[in-house]
Amino acid sequence: MATRTTQRGSRSSLVSPPVAGVASLILPGLGQILALQVQRGLLLLGSLVTIAGILVWRISLLAPRRIGVMSKIGRALARQPVFVVLALVGSVALWLWGAWDAYQQARPQRQRRGGGIGIFVLVIALFFVLGWEIGEIAPYKFVTELSDARRPLSRVLWPWAAAVTRDTETVSAGADVLSPCDDQPPPPVPEEIPGEPYLVVDPTCGDLTTQDENLQEIPGTLLTVVGRGFAPNTETQLWWVDPIGNEFRMRQGGKYIAFQTDDQGSLELEINMPYRLIPPSSTGRQVHRIEARQISEVGGLKPSENLIHNIEKMIETIVLGMMATFFGIIIAIPVSFLAARNLMSVSPLTLTVYFITRTMMNIIRSIEPMIWAILAVTVVGLGPFAGIIALFVHSVAALGKLYSEAIESIDPGQIEAVQATGATRLQTIMYAVVPQMIPPFVSFSIYRWDINVRMSTIIGMVGGGGIGFLLVQYIRLLDYRSAGICVWFIAITVSILDYTSSEIRRRFV
Amino acid sequence: MLEIKNLTKIYDDGTVALRDISFEVADGEFLIIIGLSGSGKSTLLRCINRLIDPTEGQIIWDGVDVAAAEPNQLREIRRQIGMIFQHFNLVKRSTVFTNVLSGRLGYVNPWSSLLHRFTAEDLEMARQALEQVGITEQAYKRADELSGGQQQRVGIARALMQEPHMILADEPVASLDPVLAHSILGYLEQLNQERGITVLCSLHYLDLVQRYATRVIGLRDGQIVYRGSQEDIRAMTDVEFKEIYGQEAVRVNVGPHVEGGEA
Repeated sequence: MATRTTQRGSRSSLVSPPVAGVASLILPGLGQILALQVQRGLLLLGSLVTIAGILVWRISLLAPRRIGVMSKIGRALARQPVFVVLALVGSVALWLWGAWDAYQQARPQRQRRGGGIGIFVLVIALFFVLGWEIGEIAPYKFVTELSDARRPLSRVLWPWAAAVTRDTETVSAGADVLSPCDDQPPPPVPEEIPGEPYLVVDPTCGDLTTQDENLQEIPGTLLTVVGRGFAPNTETQLWWVDPIGNEFRMRQGGKYIAFQTDDQGSLELEINMPYRLIPPSSTGRQVHRIEARQISEVGGLKPSENLIHNIEKMIETIVLGMMATFFGIIIAIPVSFLAARNLMSVSPLTLTVYFITRTMMNIIRSIEPMIWAILAVTVVGLGPFAGIIALFVHSVAALGKLYSEAIESIDPGQIEAVQATGATRLQTIMYAVVPQMIPPFVSFSIYRWDINVRMSTIIGMVGGGGIGFLLVQYIRLLDYRSAGICVWFIAITVSILDYTSSEIRRRFV
Repeated sequence: MLEIKNLTKIYDDGTVALRDISFEVADGEFLIIIGLSGSGKSTLLRCINRLIDPTEGQIIWDGVDVAAAEPNQLREIRRQIGMIFQHFNLVKRSTVFTNVLSGRLGYVNPWSSLLHRFTAEDLEMARQALEQVGITEQAYKRADELSGGQQQRVGIARALMQEPHMILADEPVASLDPVLAHSILGYLEQLNQERGITVLCSLHYLDLVQRYATRVIGLRDGQIVYRGSQEDIRAMTDVEFKEIYGQEAVRVNVGPHVEGGEA
C-alpha cells in the first residue's frame, strides 16, 4: 500500500502540493517543475520574466531622472497609467496564479490543465497596450487637429488655382526720402506730369523706426504721403525700397497696408518711416524711396511657371523609369540564365555560380530603391542619373529572379519534341524555348516598367531626380497648391500606367 | 531495319531503367511495347532517337549505330524518325501551322529557319499534312486552344513533315479519352500500311494491342519479359496479360472501333 502511494507520487510530483505552491511563490514556475510539469513551469517563468523585463524597461524610460524605485513607478504611472497598471497587476496576478497552479499540479489527481490561453491573452494584451503607447496612437487627433489641416489639405486636393496665371501690369510712382537728415538739401520733390501717376512725401528726410536698449520701439518720422494720377477706386500697395535696393511691402500694426484710391485716383495717408537695418558697409547718403503700386492682371490665362515645372519633371520621371527598366532588362536577361536552377545544375561549379547569383539578387532586392538612390547620389551627385542607377540596380535583381523562374518553368517536353525532329541547338532554342519564354518575359518587363515609373515619382525625394524632388521642395515651402499639382500628376500617370500595363499583359499572355 | 543490342540505361541517380535489352524490328512492322508505368517503355523509345543517351549497348538503324553517332549524323538520323508523345509536346504558344512546320527543321537551312522562313514546298507540305489529319481549319490557332485529340493529330502532322521511315509513339493515347484512341491509332496504322512506315508504340490497353500490333514486346523492370507475334497476341488471355502487368492489372474495355475520327 505504502509502496504504491510512493510510486504514484513519484510519477506525478516530486513534492507535496503546499511545497510546490511555496516553491512557485519563491521562483515562479519552480513548483510546476518540481511537480514534473517542466514545460508549464518554464512557460510561466518565461512569461513573467518577459512582462517584468518590459515593465522595468518602460519604467526606466518613462522616469529617467527619478531616483528610487517607488518614485520611478509613481512617475511612470502618471505618464502611462494603462500599461503600467496592467503590467503590474498582471504580473502579480500571474505570480499568485502560478503558486496556486503549482499546488494544483502537485496534487495526486490533477484536474486543471488549462491556463495557457490565459497567459497568452495577458501577454498579447500587454504587447498591444505597449504598442499603442510606443506608436503614440491617438485617433482623437483626427477630430481635434483636422481643422488645422483643412487649408493645406484642400489646396492639395484641388490645386488648380496655382496651375494658371495672368500677366500683371504695375502702375507705380515713388518719392525719395533721406535718412537721417543732414546739412545738404533733401532730395527734391518729383515733378508732376499731368495724367501720369505722381507721389509726393513730406518731409523728404527723417529718421527710421529704431529700438532702444530695452528693445522698445521708437517710431520713425511721420510721413505724409500724397498721390495723384493713379487708377481710381483701385487697390494700392505701399512699398519701401532701401538704399541697397531691397524692397519691402509696408506694414502697419503687423498688417500690409492696402487701401483704395478715390474717384479721382488720388490718395493721401500718414505713415511712420519703417524699421530697417542698413548694413554698415553701405556708405554715403542713405536715400530711401517710398512707392505706391497698383497691380492689375491683364490678358488671358496662361500656365503658371510651377505647372510647366511639374510637366517637365513628370516627363523626366517617366523617362527615368523607362531608362532604368531598359537597362535593367538588358542586364537581367543574361543574369537570369545564371540564376536558373535547371540550367545551372550541370556541375558543382555552375551550381556555385547559381547560388552566388541567387544570394546576390536576394540581397540587392531586399534593399529598397530609395536606399540605392541615396547611395547613387553619393557617387554621381543629385539628379535623374542617380535615380536611374538606383532603379536599374533594383530592377536587375527583381527581373533576374522573375526571369529565372520563367526559365525554370519551361516545359522540357516541348524542347524534346523539337529536338526529335533533328533540329539544331539554335533551332531548338528558336522554336521551343523562345516561344515559351517571350510571354512571361514581356509580362514581367512591363510590370517592372510600371513599378519603376511608380518608384521614380518618389525617388526624387532623396535627390534622385524626377517629380519627387519638386514635390518635397513645394511641401517644404508650404506651397501646398503646387505640391497638390505634383500629387495629381503622379496619381494620373500611375493610374494610366497601371491600366496600360495590365491591359498589355492581359492581351499578351 | 532496327536492331537493339544489349541496351542498358542507368540514370545518374542509380535507377536502372533498362537492363541488357536486345530485339529487332523489321521494316514495316507495327511493334507495340507493353508494360507498367516505370517499366522502361519511355526510356527505351527515347534511347532509339537519343533523346536519352544509353549507358551501354548498340542501336543499329539502317546499318548505323545511333548510340555512337556524332551530332550531325544524329540529326540526320533523328529527322527520319518521327516521334509522338503522351502529352503531345506541342509548342503551346505557337500556332498549329508553326508546330507542323517545325517537323521540317531537320531538312531546312538552319539559318533561314531561325527567321521562320520556309520554302514554298515546305509550306505546301505542311498544308497537306494538316489536311491529312483533318485539322486544316485550326491551322492558325494557338496549339493550346485545341482539344487533346486535335493536338495529338497536330503531333502526327509534325511527324509526317519529317517524311519518316519510322515513328516512335510514346503512349500516344494515354492522355486522351478512350474513344479517341482508335482515331489516333487509326492514323498510325494507315501510315504503317500505306507508306510502310515502321511504328514503335507503347500502349496499355490489351484491346488496342490486339487490334493494332503486328508484334508485341512486354517490359517489366527494364527487362523484356514477353515477346509475341500477331497470332500470339490475338490469342492472349487476361491471365497472360496479368503476368506481364502484375496481378493488380484489370483489363479495361476500350469500346468499339469508331471509324473516321472523333466520336
